[in-house]
Amino acid sequence: MIATIAKQEWRLLKADRTLIAVVLLMATLVGYSLYNGSSWVAFQRQTLAAAEAEQGERMLKLKGILVAIEDGRMEPKGFQDPRSAGAIGGTSAAPYLAMPPAPLATLAIGQSDLYPYYFKLNLRSKQAILANDEIENPTNLLAGRFDLAFVLVYLFPLLVLALGYNMISAEREQGTLLLALSQPITMSQLVTGKVLLRGGLLLGLVIGFTLIGALVTGVDLSLPTVWMRLALWIGMMTLYTGFWFGLAILVNGYGTSSATNALSLAGCWLGLVLVLPSVANLIATGMYPVPSRVEMVQAMRTAGKEAQTKGSVLLSRYMEDHPELMPGGEKPQADFASLSYAVQMEVDKKVQPILDHFEEQVDRQQSFVDGFRYLSPAILAQSAINDLAGTSLGRYKHFSRQVDSFFGAWQSYFLPKVFSKVKLSSKDVAGFPVYGYQEETDGEILGRVGVVLAGMLVLSGLVLVVAYGRLKRVSVAA
Amino acid sequence: MLQAIDLTKSYGAQTALQPLNLEVKPGEIFCLLGANGAGKTTTINLFLNFIEPTGGRALINGLDVVANPLETKKHIAYIPEQVSLYRNLTGFENLDYFATLANGAAVDRGLLLGYLREVDLPAGAEERRVSTYSKGMRQKIVIAIAMAKQAKALLLDEPTSGLDPKASNEFSQLIRKLAGQGTAILMATHDLFRAKEDGSRVGIMRQGTLKQVLNTDEFGHADLERIYLEHMHD
Amino acid sequence: MILHIAKKEMLEMRQDGRFQIAAAIVMTLLCVSLGIGWQQYVSINRQHEQARAETRDQWLTQGKKNPHSAAHYGVYAFKPKSPLSLVDRGADNYTGVAVWLEAHKQNEFKYKPARDANTLARFGDLTASSVLQLLIPLLVILMSFSAFAGEREQGTLRLVLSMGVPRPTLAMGKALGIAGGLGMLLVPAAIVGSAALVLASDTGSFVANLPRLGWMTLSYLLYFVAFIGISLTVSALAKSARLALVCLLGFWIFNGLAAPRIFSDLSRTVYRTPSSFAFSQRMDADLKKGFDENGLKKKLLAQYKVATIEELPINYAGISLKAGEDHGNEIYDKQYGELWDTFEAQNRLQQQGGLVAPLMAIRSVSMGLSGTDFAQFRDFSVAAEKYRRLFIDVLNADITRAPKTETAHMGDDKLWASVPAFEYSSPDVGIVLSQQTWSLGLLALWALLASLAAGWAATQRLRAE
Repeated sequence: MIATIAKQEWRLLKADRTLIAVVLLMATLVGYSLYNGSSWVAFQRQTLAAAEAEQGERMLKLKGILVAIEDGRMEPKGFQDPRSAGAIGGTSAAPYLAMPPAPLATLAIGQSDLYPYYFKLNLRSKQAILANDEIENPTNLLAGRFDLAFVLVYLFPLLVLALGYNMISAEREQGTLLLALSQPITMSQLVTGKVLLRGGLLLGLVIGFTLIGALVTGVDLSLPTVWMRLALWIGMMTLYTGFWFGLAILVNGYGTSSATNALSLAGCWLGLVLVLPSVANLIATGMYPVPSRVEMVQAMRTAGKEAQTKGSVLLSRYMEDHPELMPGGEKPQADFASLSYAVQMEVDKKVQPILDHFEEQVDRQQSFVDGFRYLSPAILAQSAINDLAGTSLGRYKHFSRQVDSFFGAWQSYFLPKVFSKVKLSSKDVAGFPVYGYQEETDGEILGRVGVVLAGMLVLSGLVLVVAYGRLKRVSVAA
Repeated sequence: MLQAIDLTKSYGAQTALQPLNLEVKPGEIFCLLGANGAGKTTTINLFLNFIEPTGGRALINGLDVVANPLETKKHIAYIPEQVSLYRNLTGFENLDYFATLANGAAVDRGLLLGYLREVDLPAGAEERRVSTYSKGMRQKIVIAIAMAKQAKALLLDEPTSGLDPKASNEFSQLIRKLAGQGTAILMATHDLFRAKEDGSRVGIMRQGTLKQVLNTDEFGHADLERIYLEHMHD
Repeated sequence: MILHIAKKEMLEMRQDGRFQIAAAIVMTLLCVSLGIGWQQYVSINRQHEQARAETRDQWLTQGKKNPHSAAHYGVYAFKPKSPLSLVDRGADNYTGVAVWLEAHKQNEFKYKPARDANTLARFGDLTASSVLQLLIPLLVILMSFSAFAGEREQGTLRLVLSMGVPRPTLAMGKALGIAGGLGMLLVPAAIVGSAALVLASDTGSFVANLPRLGWMTLSYLLYFVAFIGISLTVSALAKSARLALVCLLGFWIFNGLAAPRIFSDLSRTVYRTPSSFAFSQRMDADLKKGFDENGLKKKLLAQYKVATIEELPINYAGISLKAGEDHGNEIYDKQYGELWDTFEAQNRLQQQGGLVAPLMAIRSVSMGLSGTDFAQFRDFSVAAEKYRRLFIDVLNADITRAPKTETAHMGDDKLWASVPAFEYSSPDVGIVLSQQTWSLGLLALWALLASLAAGWAATQRLRAE
């Protein structure tokens, strides 16, 4: 019975040319958005390749200079001795720490246009490294990107609602509902047949076009993580489609006209996709306001000023703590480099609590928001896609923690040598700490996305249950 | 075949149908006459289980329609006042769809074409889109659906409204043919002429009550109008 | 007659449950967003004022130190916030709040507020401008999609026309009714907004901002008129109310959601910007070339008619520092100038998007008048940079003039105080308007054409059946 209804739906869609319109629209949207995503990924890859090349060149040059000095072919001259730990750790060997785009990054640009995807390390304050930004017109950042996530989270539900808003009301207004229901079928069967066909069509099209687009834009299908992510993505799209169709069924269940249905559903979409997130954002920032960066800047300046005056005192204290660094038991020499690093470390120490408080508030805000997500399937969908594409804030934080710990390792290697004025040799180069990006494990992704999918399952299930319950009481006559 | 036993419908304080007792036997054509809001459509909707009775029962072939919603629909066919079909599909496609729904499985194409010829649909018309049909032609498709269903009872709501005399006459011949085959027919109508011509009995309804039931061979056309207006007078 | 029709329209609207709910929600959102905007403006403004005073104080109380050290210590400049930003936050969240002005380097503004926000912030901020630009048009659509098509379906259109009402009169009456209904909502909101503005600014700046407020009100009015016209046109032309609604909703989605992103992409493709990496590589390469030191030395020796640098009556260190600064500044001007010109070219292209999507036009005007667009951010950046060059010059001049008998020349409080405090005032409304001519023109064009179209559709194309 349901199969008959579904077949009829297919005929109806074909006959009024809706089918062609939907196919064309879907193809255009998916194609254009994937093109955008892949351009951005290509841009990132290009930049990272250029950075890597530059670093390679620099290291070669450094090695050349060190060897030349050791062979006596070159005189160590210039403002800083090229062999000094400060010059090498701070400039000549300064590495780029990169987070390459994840395999499915073409699906969502997410936060990757706002947060850095690489850092250039030095020996100075973490703050100097951390605020590094890609060049982008702020007006463009404001508008957001036309990526696949935008199409799927914002526009796809509109397609669902466009195909579903008049499921029952059109038949009633046409008069065919009376005829159909005077046959031995139930309203639920009728609706199910329609939804399965329309939903199946949309889902099939979006999945099909996306997979084709992914292949064309060079997604590497040989990686098992890609398969896992794609499977999760398909699951999410199915649940998302189910939710919006459920909403359409629910609204149709009130027996109102097609125009009223369209308005109600447009209102629901507006509420769930635009208004709810903004209101949640407002509440979150109201309840957990982030401290002022401006105040932080001033606090750092004050700390810096104080530390400056205590400069040589700081250096002596440091040396007392690390007697092993004293070259042959001499007294500490207050040269400019050592002094400035000692001051820097003191400033960092003083500023750390302010930064920690900052992080805490931002994290608290984010946790609140994470809880709020479960009220809107759009927020859940966006969250899931960003995680699967590897452009979420979570992944950035994962990268940021790696940068932190590597920075610590880099400092621990070079700073003691700065204070004890050790000169590095070409043989030491092989021993410098080396950075390699560790991707998030599949387990971590599965965990985060799994919870989101569970939430979507609950939401969709709820809507469908209520909707089908309501169907039993629909008025048939217009 | 069609039985109403103390069938009642109220909406809150308002009673749309006072307890109705009615029986339409196989082969009978029973015409329900009355003004708009008299309860004719309510009665039909109750038989179709589109609304639930507040009292009494509606039986089709001995089965209560509320207790057996799907089973009872297998045996009846319904032709609404606004005969609408899927405009972008052809007459045949519409017939095929509804017949399949009625039957639970696909119906043989030859059989369906046979029904179309039985209802006198012009040859080839079934391949044209319904949006090109007149009301009479649409009605023929719906009657063909009823035939494909081999319904034992037919419920009609104002079938001749909007039909020209020729179409009206063709329609008349069709339902008489069906009645001759043993179908019980319940028809709500304003058309006093047709009611006298085709009906075996007429029932006059007013404000939810069935005021009088007459055998059509007991009076003439002019009489029917007089009796009808008398009831409407109060 | 027109007023009579308008009154009936407004009465019908008041009775319509859908309109009541929608209007209530929109009004609440509008007032809430104005309130939040005001509160944020006040708090951020206070922070920045405090920080400005502190940074000046830090500068003045540096104590005795080498002027070049002071140049490296520098000062901070904090991005100003205009009171009208409580209506439209524009791109403020995506531009840094503070810039460090120090010697040798033109730094970038750091700490974009968006970086410190939670992930929902990119779904869209609830500001008065987003309510005005997105939700009010939706309300207009709700009020007008069935203006003609609905009446036709109900059968009442036939009745009205058979009364002998001329079609243009009917159209005007309906338009006025919708405008009236909208006015009932917006006038209280405008009062709330103006109150917020008064509370947010002192008398002086409130008066100074009145022209901006006036132009903003005018622009939004044009935007709403355009939407009323479009909705009435579609309602008159469409075969059914349902079709009219679906078309209008489709246009609203394109206008509000798709257009900003599509034109943003387009502008980025036509006017490309370099990656941060390439940009800084180029900058470093140019800076490393340095200035012509030998040439400078020769020039000085010739000017002062001495044989060696040591014999100069002034300190060469100061002159060399200044030459280095000038060289750097030239490069910064060129590189940043090109980059920012590209951004502005992108923004101008997006303004032109207003041809097909009126939102692109109103967005640009609104941001401009609120002082939160890129052009005004650039204006402040340039002013801050000018100040940086000013105080570095003062310090370098001091080094140059220092008596050569001093072994270690120190600056003192008098020197620091000789550098004036950094003062900045927003550009005149005239300048902003000149940047927005395209957008303003397009808004006026939209309003005019939409009204004409509505009139034409109502008279020529309106079928009673």
